[in-house]
Amino acid sequence: MISTLQRTIRPVWASRGLHNSAVEALKYQAPGDTVTASYGKFISEIKPQHLSSVVLHRSKRMVLDSIGVGMIGSTTDVFELALQHCQHMYAPDDISSVYGRTGTRLSPTLAAFVNGVATHSMDFDDTWHPATHPSGAVLPAVLALSDMMPASNKPSGLDFLLAFNVGIEIQGRLMRFSNEAHSIPKRRAPPSLFLILSVFFIARFHPPSVVGTMGSAAACARLLSLDHSKCSHALAIAASLSGAPMANAATQSKPLHIGNASRLGLEAALLASRGLEASPLVLDAVAGVAGFNAFYEDYVPQPLESPNKNGHMFLLEEQDIGFKRFPAHLGMHWVADAASSVHKLLVGFGPGTVSPAQVKDILLRVPKSKYINRPFPESEHEARHSFQFNACSALLDGEVTVQSFTPAAMTRPDLSALLSRVRMEHPQDNPANFNLMYGEVQVTLVGGDILKGRCDTFYGHWRHPLTNESLKKKFRNNAGAVLPSAKVESLIDVVEELDRLGDCKELLSELQ
Amino acid sequence: MVGFSVLSLWKFGSPAFRRRVTYKSVLRLDVLSLEDITMLRKGITESFGGAIHALNTTQLTDGVIHRSKRMMLDTLGVGLLGTRTAVFNKALKYSQMFTSDERSSVWGKSQTTLPPHYAAFVNGIAVHSMDFDDTWHPATHPSGAVLPALLALADALDRPPSGLDLLLAFNVGIEVQGRLMRFSREAYNIPERFHPPSVVGVMGSAAASAKLLGLSPAQCSHALAIAASSAGAPLANTATQTKPLHIGNAARRGLEAAQLAQLGLEGNPNILDLDRGFGVYYKDYSPSAMTDCASGDFRWILEDQDVAFKRIPAHLGMHWVVDAALAARAELANEVRNFDLSQIRRVTLRVPPSKYIDCPFPATEHQARHSFQFNACSALLDDKVTVSSYSEAQINRPALRELLSKVKVETPKANQPNFDKMYCEVEVETHQGQSHVARCDTFYGHWRKPLSQEDLVGKFSVNASSVLCTEGVEGVMEVIGNIERVRESSVLGLYLTMTSSQQEQLYSSM
Repeated sequence: MISTLQRTIRPVWASRGLHNSAVEALKYQAPGDTVTASYGKFISEIKPQHLSSVVLHRSKRMVLDSIGVGMIGSTTDVFELALQHCQHMYAPDDISSVYGRTGTRLSPTLAAFVNGVATHSMDFDDTWHPATHPSGAVLPAVLALSDMMPASNKPSGLDFLLAFNVGIEIQGRLMRFSNEAHSIPKRRAPPSLFLILSVFFIARFHPPSVVGTMGSAAACARLLSLDHSKCSHALAIAASLSGAPMANAATQSKPLHIGNASRLGLEAALLASRGLEASPLVLDAVAGVAGFNAFYEDYVPQPLESPNKNGHMFLLEEQDIGFKRFPAHLGMHWVADAASSVHKLLVGFGPGTVSPAQVKDILLRVPKSKYINRPFPESEHEARHSFQFNACSALLDGEVTVQSFTPAAMTRPDLSALLSRVRMEHPQDNPANFNLMYGEVQVTLVGGDILKGRCDTFYGHWRHPLTNESLKKKFRNNAGAVLPSAKVESLIDVVEELDRLGDCKELLSELQ
Repeated sequence: MVGFSVLSLWKFGSPAFRRRVTYKSVLRLDVLSLEDITMLRKGITESFGGAIHALNTTQLTDGVIHRSKRMMLDTLGVGLLGTRTAVFNKALKYSQMFTSDERSSVWGKSQTTLPPHYAAFVNGIAVHSMDFDDTWHPATHPSGAVLPALLALADALDRPPSGLDLLLAFNVGIEVQGRLMRFSREAYNIPERFHPPSVVGVMGSAAASAKLLGLSPAQCSHALAIAASSAGAPLANTATQTKPLHIGNAARRGLEAAQLAQLGLEGNPNILDLDRGFGVYYKDYSPSAMTDCASGDFRWILEDQDVAFKRIPAHLGMHWVVDAALAARAELANEVRNFDLSQIRRVTLRVPPSKYIDCPFPATEHQARHSFQFNACSALLDDKVTVSSYSEAQINRPALRELLSKVKVETPKANQPNFDKMYCEVEVETHQGQSHVARCDTFYGHWRKPLSQEDLVGKFSVNASSVLCTEGVEGVMEVIGNIERVRESSVLGLYLTMTSSQQEQLYSSM
């Protein structure tokens, strides 16, 4: 039996030679001084009165859009697969509702998972700057958790909105720890063998998988009213669940990044509430032991000030969200708008068709990004991430819609013909940055005429936000795919009233 | 386990919107980047998918069978002991929130079952909860990520797999981890960024589960791709209560990835080939294809590189420093009449540089398991280091704290942070001016000096007996010892839950 170590070494008389300097002892930091602790305190101290009317307004729009997008997402194959998986590996659990499936309920983390998958399944959900998809990682978790709370003690609409905003805020703050994030996390330049790399869109980790999990954990910690220490631990536990490689984006797995962010963030908060502890320095940069900075090359964390002192300015106040008009990567919206203006020129502002026979050459001037440069997309997922596909679709049809990604639309001979005539250019002045990029479409006709379209700011971008009417129209189209119109209208009303609802169950009950 | 429902294969038809576009002409080079071209024909991910699918029991050699059975036994013992920890109990309570039709056993619990994923989760946590599980080179804890997933899956399958199937799948899971770690020089040293089990462990679990499920080569590749999106936990959470979850999650999410692949979910089919695929976890990344197992050139990594088994529940690095400290102490006791510890003026440790195991004044059990200083002092104070050395009471002993304050750590340049090359020296100086140095190059239990079979079985016995009754302990030993001949591996689950009722009652309220 071994209960003690055996001494098997013979001692050595070492000379008292010179040795290198010792490893520095960890500098002793007062527990309250760390960035991690400041985040824990912030989450536990933030209150509804810290939400300004602008933030309330913008976040309610995000909630509405996210629900709608989740609803239409529940009609996708990947959602079905994820749902079947959960129902197969786990029994039905009458707790948290599932988008678009009346009567189906799952355990809270599983509901968060499938609803998150639904939200991102068509790449139709909101996008922020620096780039991530903030709402899909947070809302499903907050909804699932609200469903879990006892009927007599559900959060008010305002508590719900506060938790949601905490989830968004934390994501925004974390992204600002790194310059890399501003242009979407870049990989350190690969070996010189490869071409230059504009720093952008050569992503390493898919941002929602990095910050989304943290946001979800923060939002759930807030909703659970955890104390500041548990809030910190929730974030730290979540860090061990963050991070998915970019290579899986534009595959069928991508929506799971958001689904998992939502689910695992909720899980982290629940584990923290049971007393699980993790690193108290996860957000701080400790040399030689990576915490959250494992996901970034450059990392400069900043503490969050307590809102109790001077209130708090939410990032959403300074930087609005972009909503998509059609289900594709945000970059597609620029070329689609540019191409659609060329379409209008071609058909003369009336209904009409563009024929490939007219077109000799299509030149796209877009930012350089491998991730959204796909000349001949083979799957719906790839099509949603293809400058070429979206430009040609808009050129043909005048716009890109949900229907543009159906098999029938994708395999049209006219479309293939146009695709084979596309060339790409990556002007130096067109960086892959959602705040700075533009899209230009130049069509050379068979006769020699050249038509040009350019889009600097698409409609739906934060510089040119969707009107409330447009947002509601998008919601009606989306939610209407699975809910009767009476419910659709009730949902619109209840989200509008969310900050005035005494009990969020009024929202929850309209979802199924 | 009674009442398994059939884990049927769901098919959703081919992904609805895929269509093979045939390119009449040559690939348009102006639209492909150079990276695309060079990556195009590597087929590394494909080779892994193919190998996972094709590896069969005839390829298992005696050497590999022997070593992997030792790993399985040690893992089970360590896991059983781990079911008595606080972190395990928290995870168990959390996991009981979930319901399912299929249920899998929770080791050391006769009355509790969980949905398979959560059984893999909690059992994996148990294995790593005390840092007592096996370690490989390049560094990771390979077995804890794989065995819990396989046993949970085996419990849930309609027909329990044979012992040989289980053994094969286990080895596939280990092999894949070993291969992946060889894709990077960074992996050979003590980590700084991501905790290795969280990077390669989930891939191993996915591979092993895919093997046991009998997935096609393409599905095996996709299982790896899906798993890659669940990889990577930062090192900062080691030395905390969350560390065991890295293994628990690796087991669980690898299993999940395989099952999602079985349902037809797809990820990036070149996940291992790409820098922005699995390569994101490493600063230098040079993947290579898996040898074709039909070619006759295939050789298991485990054949050439054994694991280390721990004798104390602490980070592997601690084993060197403890052995050296014990030797130095023996020297002192021999040389100095009436030696007592108050005569110590200073203790100098010469260790490899590694921030996360350099902790001068650990406050928790987790920190203590990752502290050169603590382990050296425990050895000096008690003349032994055991499972009970890490309790709160032991950590807070004034005599220990006092000794800790006399410790200095040096990191000689020659001492590399690499489990194959490192050494530890302990030098003790007395007030009388005497100095005694001891050095440990290879501790007993390291792959260069493996535990004897008797000592390995002894470790298992002690660990398992804290939870199981004698019949259970002996039953597990019997089944693992003869696993190649066991027809239905489900018998293992029965033994793993044969607790002695007193012990279960004693700990169930924790």
